[in-house]
Amino acid sequence: MTYRLLRTALLPGIAQAMFWFLLGSAAALSASTARQTIATAILEEDAEKKIGLINSLIGNADPAIKPLFDAWKEDAIFLYKAEGSATKVPVSVGEEKDTDGRQAATRIDDAQPLKAADGQPLRILTADYDSAEHDSAIRTAMKGVLDLLDLASPDRARRIQAIEMLGKSQEAEKLPPLLLVQKNVTDTKVRHALREAIALIQLKDEKPETRTAAAQELGALGSIASQDFLQQFVKDNADQPTVARAGTAALAAIANHVRNVNIVGTGFRGLSKGSILLVAAIGLAITFGLMGVINMAHGELIAVGAYTTYVVQGIFATGVVLQIPTFFGQPITVRLSGMNLSGTALDNYFLLALPLSFLMAALVGLALERSVIRFLYRRPLESLLATWGVSLVLQQLFRLTFGANNVQVYSPSWLSGNWTVSDVIFGWNRVFVIGFAIAIIFGTHLLMTKTPLGLLIRAVMQNRQMAACMGVKTERVNMLTFAFGSGLGGLAGAFISQLGNVGPGLGQDYIVDAFMTVVVGGVGNLVGTVVSALGIGLMDQSLQQILLNPVLGKILVLGMIILFLQWRPAGIFVTKSRSLES
Amino acid sequence: MQRHVSKVELVTASVIALFLVVVFPGLHAAGAVSDFTIKLWGKYLCYGLLAISVDLLWGYTGLLSLGQALFFSLGGYMLGMNLMLMIGEDGQYFKSGNNPSLLPDFMVILGRTELPSFWKPFYNFPFAVAMVVLVPGLLAFLFGFLGFRSRIKGVYFSILTQALTYVAAVFFQNALIMGSNNGFTDFKRILGCDIRASATQRGLYIATALALVLVYAFCRWLTTTKFGLVQRAVRDSETRALFSGYAAANYKLFVFVVASIIGSIGGALYLPQAGILNPTEMMPEKSLEAVVWCAVGGRGTLIGPIIGAIGTNALKSWATRAFPDLWLIILGGLFILIVLFLPKGIFGLLGQARDFFAKRKPEAASATAEPAKP
Amino acid sequence: MKIESTQKTFLLAAEGVNKSFSGFKAINNLNFYLDTGELRTVIGPNGAGKTSFLDLITGRTKPDSGTIEFEGNVSIPKLNEYEIYRLGIGRKFQTPTVYTDHTVWENLLLSLEGSRGVWASLFHQPNSTERDRMDEILATINLVSQRHWKAGALAHGQKQWLEIGMLLAQNAKLLLVDEPAAGMTDTETHKTGELLLSLAGKHTIVVIEHDMVFVRQIAAGRKVTVLHQGSVLCEGSVDEVQNDERVLDVYLGRKKRSN
Repeated sequence: MTYRLLRTALLPGIAQAMFWFLLGSAAALSASTARQTIATAILEEDAEKKIGLINSLIGNADPAIKPLFDAWKEDAIFLYKAEGSATKVPVSVGEEKDTDGRQAATRIDDAQPLKAADGQPLRILTADYDSAEHDSAIRTAMKGVLDLLDLASPDRARRIQAIEMLGKSQEAEKLPPLLLVQKNVTDTKVRHALREAIALIQLKDEKPETRTAAAQELGALGSIASQDFLQQFVKDNADQPTVARAGTAALAAIANHVRNVNIVGTGFRGLSKGSILLVAAIGLAITFGLMGVINMAHGELIAVGAYTTYVVQGIFATGVVLQIPTFFGQPITVRLSGMNLSGTALDNYFLLALPLSFLMAALVGLALERSVIRFLYRRPLESLLATWGVSLVLQQLFRLTFGANNVQVYSPSWLSGNWTVSDVIFGWNRVFVIGFAIAIIFGTHLLMTKTPLGLLIRAVMQNRQMAACMGVKTERVNMLTFAFGSGLGGLAGAFISQLGNVGPGLGQDYIVDAFMTVVVGGVGNLVGTVVSALGIGLMDQSLQQILLNPVLGKILVLGMIILFLQWRPAGIFVTKSRSLES
Repeated sequence: MQRHVSKVELVTASVIALFLVVVFPGLHAAGAVSDFTIKLWGKYLCYGLLAISVDLLWGYTGLLSLGQALFFSLGGYMLGMNLMLMIGEDGQYFKSGNNPSLLPDFMVILGRTELPSFWKPFYNFPFAVAMVVLVPGLLAFLFGFLGFRSRIKGVYFSILTQALTYVAAVFFQNALIMGSNNGFTDFKRILGCDIRASATQRGLYIATALALVLVYAFCRWLTTTKFGLVQRAVRDSETRALFSGYAAANYKLFVFVVASIIGSIGGALYLPQAGILNPTEMMPEKSLEAVVWCAVGGRGTLIGPIIGAIGTNALKSWATRAFPDLWLIILGGLFILIVLFLPKGIFGLLGQARDFFAKRKPEAASATAEPAKP
Repeated sequence: MKIESTQKTFLLAAEGVNKSFSGFKAINNLNFYLDTGELRTVIGPNGAGKTSFLDLITGRTKPDSGTIEFEGNVSIPKLNEYEIYRLGIGRKFQTPTVYTDHTVWENLLLSLEGSRGVWASLFHQPNSTERDRMDEILATINLVSQRHWKAGALAHGQKQWLEIGMLLAQNAKLLLVDEPAAGMTDTETHKTGELLLSLAGKHTIVVIEHDMVFVRQIAAGRKVTVLHQGSVLCEGSVDEVQNDERVLDVYLGRKKRSN
């Protein structure tokens, strides 16, 4: 109890006194550099003023502070007294002694070599100087300054971290420096962190009104990190109902904020999950929806894109080794030497990987269409079976060429960071995939509506025979459409390689979801695919958020899809037709 | 397609049935057939049951179900629960003194000390057998009821059953209380008999062969009834069947439930002969593999899928040993070729050939009877 | 109910029926009444909504608005295809729609009146009455010697006949016959007309037809309905409608009089 009294009543008093003192000295010395201040402090005789000078460096980010303080503590700062002079000069001394036993010296206050009256560099003898003294009070003050050094760090993240640490310490003596720093901070994030830290410390303030205000401030800030402190606060202030109530209210406000963060975060994750689904399904929506081909190998086309990204990345970095299977003999080992790039140059591999993924998957799709699928138009079930065979063959080829294990695909730095806005984390890769999905949809829409190829595709898909009679080369259109759909699958693969594992079974992870997306959207309707992808993505993430169980979530999503198809058997958007067997 | 069972077919089928049920196990008893072989053939015949269940749906009703592996596995799981409980005092943890309440070993690893209540009835063998029929039947009924009511057909049915299977596999992979990824294994006895004993294996084989013969006979009968006619009417033109007053959904639901139970029985018989069951058995790929057997043998015939199942699996046994890296490529390639060049499978090809010769006659005869064409 | 207020029960009464397909109004405020025992011919140019109308009656599509009532008390739009069929409404489609992989005999067996349930179908064997009935129909539609043929192997006209035979086997109260004479020779067409006439009275029949010779054959002394743009343009005897100004406008594409 006495301890608490001391802490709550006494310490803030001392701190406050110190603070006013600090403010005064800081103002007085504002014109001098950190080096000058330290030099002055070393020379200062009065112990209290000495410490005052040291403390005036709080909130100063000068990089010279730390090495100088370290040197002082390690007795590497000396006081040089020139012969016949009353003034001492603080210096540091070079290590090498010349033949005379003289050493070079550097002034502390301006980092210039020590000079004699004639302007020549002065070399000094050991006998000419004493080391600068320091006692425990000085060392404590220096440590205090060093502890707070990060407060002024030019690196924003380090600054915020330092501020948060001080706040969580809830030590009253950390308050003045924070308040000091707060005076000239303009960065909104740092300001936010400062308000939070200050309020956290003030939760232990002796004045009930300050404590109440601090709790209200935390509530207003929606400070997620302060929840535990506030709970403790409510317990500690149980004897003061008004104060405790402010704590409870703040907790409620924070809980509300957490709920909002979760909703927005879930919405964002749902959107990005939906975008992934969309990217994976859009190619399928074209081959299945428009052409009526059930391509079970679409997942493997996605994998082709992912592996292409892997190979391109390998060539940019340290190279890749491929085992080209020869079936009944030894595989041929192909070593693609790398360009050994790093940094931004390596990051740029992804820009090349995107078009190549599209191209590779489109070529594989083209080969698939020519060799198998063109015989199976109008026999959807058979196309399902034959393409499943293709999918098995491709999976095994991946396994033989790239190994059965997952391969590592490096993410460019501009895909691996994130933004945090009001406690919601926006991963760049997820933001990028959303943007990418929009770009793909837009591009596909333009292709379908604004180009001659799009016109032909729509004509052939609506009435193959009629289009053929009008002189459309339906074979060519089929080929190109299928290649385009496959290429989109490849693009999806390039992205998925940035989000998850790349292995031979990659395609299988996406094919079921992709088909569901197309079916729910309504076959033959790209808008429906967009709506259903986003809907399923949001539902999936919401259920995960609510149930905290991805497996149960997945099962529920399927259940809901089946129930949804009860209500709208033909999907969200129905393409009406009058023929008997449609 | 013959509507009525011809004498030739009856005799052939009886001879094959007699061989499978009596002669082959007789040879085993006499030592002419090894334990390994009879076990292998037992498994092949289980696959035959699975293939028939696919064919009844796909070949006869036009419903390509990619969920039959799920029902096959479910059957296995239901009987497996009984076999796991029958391990009893032979379990590793009981021997080491850590399992006084005789739980299946995987539950001891989970730290359980008591059997979950839904496991308890499975001590009773007839109960487990009843569940082999009821659980998959009920699941098929629910899924089929919802699906067929909303007229999900064709590829949509395939995609939905695939999704159902996929989700079930994910569920079982995570269902700790059902052995999760490791599933069930290490069985010791069935109905009190040592499961590894030669005689038990023979008994299981005979049960499988008998089940296959009975299922074959049942399906043969089913396809000759008016039900069979409606079934194929639904397959060929569901809309027309609706306009003939048939509630196609009910017919499909009936076939779906029957086929699921057939698949489940196959799975239940498979389990003690294979000695292991885990969720990989119910992945959609396994369903598709069963579809391959059916396609190879010839869908829309009943003997085709059985031959397809045995033939493809015999090929698999050989190829996975001879060319382990190439088996999936062979299987995939086989499938592509069958679909492209032999859409009706081997038996369909025979049927086509017969039709080709048979057609010559009536066409010539009808030239005069036929009314003049417009 | 509306029908009761008119003191008369129609076999089929459609009132204020509308149906559009993605913006196109196939049926537009259609009113149509049919008495029991009638043989009604419906004519109209392409796109007049004839087949769409049959689709609405047989449950293939549901109306956007309006009522369709059968025997004065059954609301058709609430039922699905097979329930409507079981009321006793049969339909022959415009393009012959038979089970091509089944034999002629099996096609008739599938259409024969009787239970449509799953259990019944498992144990149903045609009895001698039923077999006699099917033989009789085979004779009527002239397909006796093709009874074991697969329906897919039949000529176009024969398929039309088979489908009519299936309609007969069903023994429906209301027969909806969509262009029965399409693809038939003159002789066959005439025979079809005679068959339909022989059924008149026993069944109520709606025939949709283009061929005016055929229409004159079956509609002599009976009511003909002309459909145009989804609604009834006029009704009356063949001569009346053939001389109706509006009908001539519609058929001959004369310019519409301003009104």
